[in-house]
Amino acid sequence: MATGMTTVTAAKALQGAELHVEGVAKQFGGLKVFEQISFRLQPGDILGVVGPNGAGKTTLINVISGLLLPTHGRVTLGGHDITRAPFHGRSRLGVIRSFQQTSTFRPATVRENIARAMRFSHGSDAPPLGTDALMMRFDLAGRLDEQSDKLPYGLQKMLGLVLAYVTKPKVLLLDEPAAGLEVRERVQVDDFVHHVREELGCSILIVEHDMDLIRRICPQIMVLDSGRVIAEGPPAEVLSRPEVITAYMGAADEEEAKLC
Amino acid sequence: MARKFRSFLRSCGAAELVSIGILVLAFGIPFLSSSPFIGSLVTQILIAIPAAFSVYVMLRMDLMTFAVPAFMAMGAYSAAIAGLRCGITDTILLAALSFAVPALVALPLGAMVLRLRGVYFVLVTFLLAQITQLVLFETPQFTGGSNGLAGMPATTLFGLALEDNRSVLLLAVGLALVAAIITTALTRHYRQHFAAIKENQVLAESLGLVVWHYKMLGFTIAAGLAGIAGFSLLNMLLTAHPSSFDAMSSVNYIAYAIVGGAGSMLGPVVGSVVLVTATNLFSTRGEYSPGFLGVLILIVVLAMKEGIVGTALRLIRNRARRREFPLAPADMPYLPVAKSTAAAERKAEN
Repeated sequence: MATGMTTVTAAKALQGAELHVEGVAKQFGGLKVFEQISFRLQPGDILGVVGPNGAGKTTLINVISGLLLPTHGRVTLGGHDITRAPFHGRSRLGVIRSFQQTSTFRPATVRENIARAMRFSHGSDAPPLGTDALMMRFDLAGRLDEQSDKLPYGLQKMLGLVLAYVTKPKVLLLDEPAAGLEVRERVQVDDFVHHVREELGCSILIVEHDMDLIRRICPQIMVLDSGRVIAEGPPAEVLSRPEVITAYMGAADEEEAKLC
Repeated sequence: MARKFRSFLRSCGAAELVSIGILVLAFGIPFLSSSPFIGSLVTQILIAIPAAFSVYVMLRMDLMTFAVPAFMAMGAYSAAIAGLRCGITDTILLAALSFAVPALVALPLGAMVLRLRGVYFVLVTFLLAQITQLVLFETPQFTGGSNGLAGMPATTLFGLALEDNRSVLLLAVGLALVAAIITTALTRHYRQHFAAIKENQVLAESLGLVVWHYKMLGFTIAAGLAGIAGFSLLNMLLTAHPSSFDAMSSVNYIAYAIVGGAGSMLGPVVGSVVLVTATNLFSTRGEYSPGFLGVLILIVVLAMKEGIVGTALRLIRNRARRREFPLAPADMPYLPVAKSTAAAERKAEN
């Protein structure tokens, strides 16, 4: 009975690992970007991180992915301390990030981009299961030989996500995947997140400004403001709290400032 | 077997094979011409080529190096010291030494400076060239100071002494060929890695590429290539002197690579041939020579941003495309319509 339940809801192959962020703080000289952030991500979890610009969301991703070292605190993956592990080392352990701007190997073709992602991450030429389906859904399958920076903006962002996918991540950190996309393109981010979770069973941390998207895909969210966690919980409840609305809209009229 | 060989050739790359082919043909030059002017010119070109390869390898990783004269000096002086102090005259041994010493020095240096990017890396490598000059002048017990190391015994190959001009030239060809093979092996085997570092280093790292491994490898090999150029220069002059490795001469090697075209390995070869020849021709005009050279470099940089080889390849490619689409396609009305078609349309209207 219990096993029957899990097979329905759980991902196909749980290759993810638990990410544990404990009391992480980052400061640049006297500037405290954020302090005392702690959370756990189990395989298959999706956590949304929202907050106004400058709240420290991207810096949080930079610290977890290893682009920056934290001032205090620990980051562990599957029980192993990776706080001091270098950027590429963490990537090889399965902590993969995407970028806010389009990020591809610009003059290289789509095919070369994907081949490089696979080669650099796990040294094989075999894409993980589900890559073809993803390419079809993103409309990239027919454009394998196009130069990546000649693709439309939306497709370049999607290619960035595919590059993260083919590295077979255990923990995926998405930095504003929908930024700059048209509304109809944003659904593809939903597709991507569900697809990754189902096919790879990895945990996902997603930083995003599109509240509809966050409501659709994140069962749990965390609100950052000026480097502090001001609220945590399910999005429907958290986003209606007055302090969250104030943080987003400043001291504006709360009636008017319904986050939608 | 034949298929294996063909796939090996394909993996070597066309520009690389042409470069190696040119250098193999260069073995014939001393047998075709005995003119001392040609001999000296070709030798100078062949010394410039490995040095330009050194710049080329670094440019593949988007790093501009001014350290070529420093590593050339290390190669030349280690061979000269081995020859004068230890009596080693075997060419293969000396060449290996002139490659290995700068490469070994580059290891700790690379660990310190390769994290720098852009203009900071440029500055540090220029400083390295300056410091090397200082060390050469200030340690006369090893380097002979401002007198340099003269009286290098003639090198030998399999017991044969390489004394006359022809054998000096042949040795220069051989060394340039070795440098070309090393450059091909490195840049073709790791071309995806180097390209990834050049195009988007942060993305490459985020996907798991250990970027500093490849930068260290490239820097070490580039240092070794410059060392080979230094040894080749030592063979021509039979003297190792600090003035041969002036920090400002690094600009020349960079010019050879960029004017030739840093997008393909043929670039440094063509750039070395054109610029060394031009320098030699202009030098007969005395004080105007730097001016002529400057104008030539200006033309190339302004009119052909991809260098001589890059521009030539683009022109050939465009020509092939024009042959495929001789008339303007219907969906591109802004292209001029062929005269006869326009006339025919007018006639039809009438």
